[in-house]
Amino acid sequence: MVRIELSEDLKEEMKKLREELAKLKDQLRDVTEREQRRSRGIYIDVGNRVHDYEDVMESVAEGIHGELEKSIFIGPGGVRIIKGTVAHREEEEVEVNFPKAAEVMSALGQEHRLKILKELVGGGKYINELQEKLSEITTSTLSSHLKVLEEAGLVVQEKMRGRYLITIPGRTAYKMATRITRFLERGNQE
Amino acid sequence: MKQENYQLETTTLKTTEPITLWRTEKGTIEIGKNTLAISIKLNDQRKGYIFHGHGKLLLDTIVETQEGAVGKPVESELNELFLMLGETEEIQQHLSAAAKEDLTKMGYESEQGFVDKAVTLVDQFFGKMRMHNHQCCGNNHGVLFAFPNEAGKLDVLIANGSKLVYKATNQVFVSNDGKVVLKTPTEVIVSGDNRKSLVIKKCMCYRNH
Repeated sequence: MVRIELSEDLKEEMKKLREELAKLKDQLRDVTEREQRRSRGIYIDVGNRVHDYEDVMESVAEGIHGELEKSIFIGPGGVRIIKGTVAHREEEEVEVNFPKAAEVMSALGQEHRLKILKELVGGGKYINELQEKLSEITTSTLSSHLKVLEEAGLVVQEKMRGRYLITIPGRTAYKMATRITRFLERGNQE
Repeated sequence: MKQENYQLETTTLKTTEPITLWRTEKGTIEIGKNTLAISIKLNDQRKGYIFHGHGKLLLDTIVETQEGAVGKPVESELNELFLMLGETEEIQQHLSAAAKEDLTKMGYESEQGFVDKAVTLVDQFFGKMRMHNHQCCGNNHGVLFAFPNEAGKLDVLIANGSKLVYKATNQVFVSNDGKVVLKTPTEVIVSGDNRKSLVIKKCMCYRNH
């Protein structure tokens, strides 16, 4: 076997070439990644160590839950961070207070009461303001409708100023009623 | 800091007509005619009263948010002793000496019975609040009320102009020029101008494993 002794100059030259080659490889990878980002949107290289994305997402979710503990945050725009991933939620497990649910549905189940909620969605109103908007309802009927809505927790009255305000459940219930109606109307049209 | 000494005046008084002790657009505290009263003095200056009669507390602890209103008004009858610290000159004009029958109507066999209960409430308040110099009340038209609650603790209301703090067993309400913080057993609501708000709720959802 012939042993070739390389000169120091040649060794230095080969080292430079290797470094040059490594740089070219890096540049080639960068170009490829940029192309992938353009074609697929955001590109995230998770490397070879990640074998199970679900595990990773689960651990991230657990971390967030640990931080937030038992809280849901609702911002001005209605942003919510809810403990438990959507995949783990099943409606069958929610304990429903049926008498209360029936009371709320009963409160919603009247055309004039829905109209009252619609008026209150725009902001708190005094009874005379509601009366002006809903002139087809007599004052005594309007008062009894407001009482039903108040008892169901959909409306609250300020004791000092006397204004009626729609509550968070009231707004949610009104939205639900209008969405179901729209959904059914679309279904009938089809 | 040295704790200053409070004293109760020896004379039991009663209201000669209904009095509104505090009123703003957020709430009101009223007491009826013939309500028993005893003055609280601090360093020989009248700083407040203990009242016992029939009265009413109304407080709109409601926060308006873009998502809807949160909270309910507080509406309670004031049939037990409660403490007030604040402006006393105006109130003093509507008080006169109580007669034995006034005490009897409120369930006291003697004046001492009322004084004993008043001392207990004042001790509870001063012991709990560790008040020193009452600069918060009386000197700048602020007012403080302490109402014993069912849990044996004190619900406290402090108000000064549009500023209001109400701390009860199940809620804390702080209001200052349209900015409101409400803490209930299930949520904390911070609301600023234009109903912009942040609601922090206890999680009511669940996991199935």
